[in-house]
Amino acid sequence: MKGKNLLKKNEFYIVIIIAVLACIIQAISGQFFTSNNLVDLLRSMIVPGMMAAGLFMVIVSGNIDVSFPYTAMLCMFAVTKWFSVINYQGPVFLAFLIAGLIGLVLGLLNGVLAAWLKLPTLIITLGTCTIFLGITQGVLQSSVISVLPAPMAKMAATNLFSVVNGETGLGSSMPVSILFLIAIYLIVGFIMKYTMLGRGIYAVGGDPVAAERAGFNVNFIRIFVFTFMGVVGGITGITQVTVSGMCQINFFDGYEMTIIAAVVLGGANIAGGSGTVIGTFLGVLLMKMISNNLILLGIPTNWSKFMTGILIIAGVSMSAYKSVLAKRRVASNILEDGHKEEA
Amino acid sequence: MKRELVALSLAAVMLSSLVMGCGGSSTETASADTAGDTTASEGGYTIATVVKDMSDPWCLRHEEGVKEYAAETGNNCYVKGPAKTDSAEQIQVIEQLISQDIDALCVVPIDPEACAPVLQKARDKGIVVITHEAEGFEACDYDLEAFNNKEYGEAMMDELAKAMNYEGKYVTMVAFLSSVSHNDWMDAAVAHQKEAYPNMELIPEERLECEDNMNMAYEKAKEIIKKYPDIKGFLGASSYDPPGAAKAIDELGMTGQIYAVGTGVASVSGPYLESGSNPCVLCWDPALSGKAMCQLATMVLNGEKDKIQTGLDLGIEGYNSVNVNGTDISGNAILVINKDNMAEYNF
Repeated sequence: MKGKNLLKKNEFYIVIIIAVLACIIQAISGQFFTSNNLVDLLRSMIVPGMMAAGLFMVIVSGNIDVSFPYTAMLCMFAVTKWFSVINYQGPVFLAFLIAGLIGLVLGLLNGVLAAWLKLPTLIITLGTCTIFLGITQGVLQSSVISVLPAPMAKMAATNLFSVVNGETGLGSSMPVSILFLIAIYLIVGFIMKYTMLGRGIYAVGGDPVAAERAGFNVNFIRIFVFTFMGVVGGITGITQVTVSGMCQINFFDGYEMTIIAAVVLGGANIAGGSGTVIGTFLGVLLMKMISNNLILLGIPTNWSKFMTGILIIAGVSMSAYKSVLAKRRVASNILEDGHKEEA
Repeated sequence: MKRELVALSLAAVMLSSLVMGCGGSSTETASADTAGDTTASEGGYTIATVVKDMSDPWCLRHEEGVKEYAAETGNNCYVKGPAKTDSAEQIQVIEQLISQDIDALCVVPIDPEACAPVLQKARDKGIVVITHEAEGFEACDYDLEAFNNKEYGEAMMDELAKAMNYEGKYVTMVAFLSSVSHNDWMDAAVAHQKEAYPNMELIPEERLECEDNMNMAYEKAKEIIKKYPDIKGFLGASSYDPPGAAKAIDELGMTGQIYAVGTGVASVSGPYLESGSNPCVLCWDPALSGKAMCQLATMVLNGEKDKIQTGLDLGIEGYNSVNVNGTDISGNAILVINKDNMAEYNF
């Protein structure tokens, strides 16, 4: 019985794809299972991973948000610029707090618009993302900031641990911000699994009318998921700066699509109502494995976009196929039940 | 009802901010507007310059040069540009300028092909058009380059070869495989290596695409170093490539064994010029090219087209003896920035 459950789980299939891909990369390059490569992989997952955790909630609630890279961009630039101008010397924690608060306001705006206007959230967030971009460029006069304020530069230089690969002599270090990634997954996992709010998010995503009748406050849930995404976006913005050691507003270009793809790759239903936080994590892992190992796989530059697209479609159709199978099973069960009743 | 009210008032707010936004974008280049309204002192021309991105320190340096030129010559020169590197927005800026009373237009097009129709329109109206960073462009009176693309590629390769002690594996990086000048530079650099530095070897990946994004350059460089631990050099065409690769080199603990050379500016590459992973970066001074474009426009307006021939001295450093090939003009303004002179070039 347990084995059968495992086979039904989406995560099981993603883990298999990840394992196969890892073995292929290892076989071709001999560089996948090296300490420095694994640290690099985790490290490159920090920023997209955090965003995916927030977006996972939005998608499960049956909504979509394409404005989060712009939220992150705005918060990142605003706080970094501000701290540079005032030559801030205090604890770095404040940078995350302020960015989180700005993100909260921006997310709240998305949420309130979504709850009041009842328009498709794709349209709303397409609108707000342009506004966020406009604010960053027009009001804040965006530019590249290569010298970070001292506390942020210090965090950029601080690592949790470093590894050196004895064979190649290559090293890699794990930034402190990996802790944020872990914290956000724990928080999202806890909310989704153990709280009434989490159940509400699943319920609203599955069927808003039924959820409302069951007593869930649909508007509150909508506002909550967007606000949460905003806060995560803001924090992620500063995280990116501390990982990169500089601030360039096109860091998040194209993130809206890759992160949505990663969440869907992780088994979340794009129409809402289902998905798991572990699946999302695996989706991001798979996504990063694909995009960061094309060179190790020996794919020529001209073909890298093509291959990324193919791998995403292959991954997503696998989970889509599974949900088709599940639906068919439900349908046939109903039919069988009907027959039994007739008999 | 309530919701309709909200929707309506929101629409009103959006519209009004749109109007304000438009007002804002023109006040953004306030110096430009005030300058544009007053017709220049007698004999002066009105020369508008359009850059790629008003938020970029590079373009601000360009503006410095244009202002200096205006102060020196008494012509009315000003700079405008989109708030982000966005070709459509840049074309709008050009459209607006054409409808004003200007004598010449100096443009650094983001996408030359897309700009061609609007610049042709300007020429049809009798406006002198000078372009930059668009070699071979046709819808202009002249295109001025800081240098010949081939020479620049070769100069980059010379610097990289020096850093690598003339031997070892290397790879090239560009913003996009479709960026014409980036690929021209790299073609020239690779050809030069094959001829002059036989002990250097281009790895099979040949050219990486890093989308003008330092983070992407960093991640790709890391991956290349993993695959080729004996690689010795990165040659980057975008100004984000050398610092991105240098960050990877420093982090992987390969400082002093691998070098990244290429286009760069001190404001971004500074830390890596210090660490030595960027032994030097190459560029040209946009202030000087800005000045040279205005000077060229003035000459055309003065009817001195016949003087524009190879060997012409524009009176600006790096443009003392330009090369003229049809409507393509190039100077010798390659600038090599290293640890010692980086303080002088703060853009």
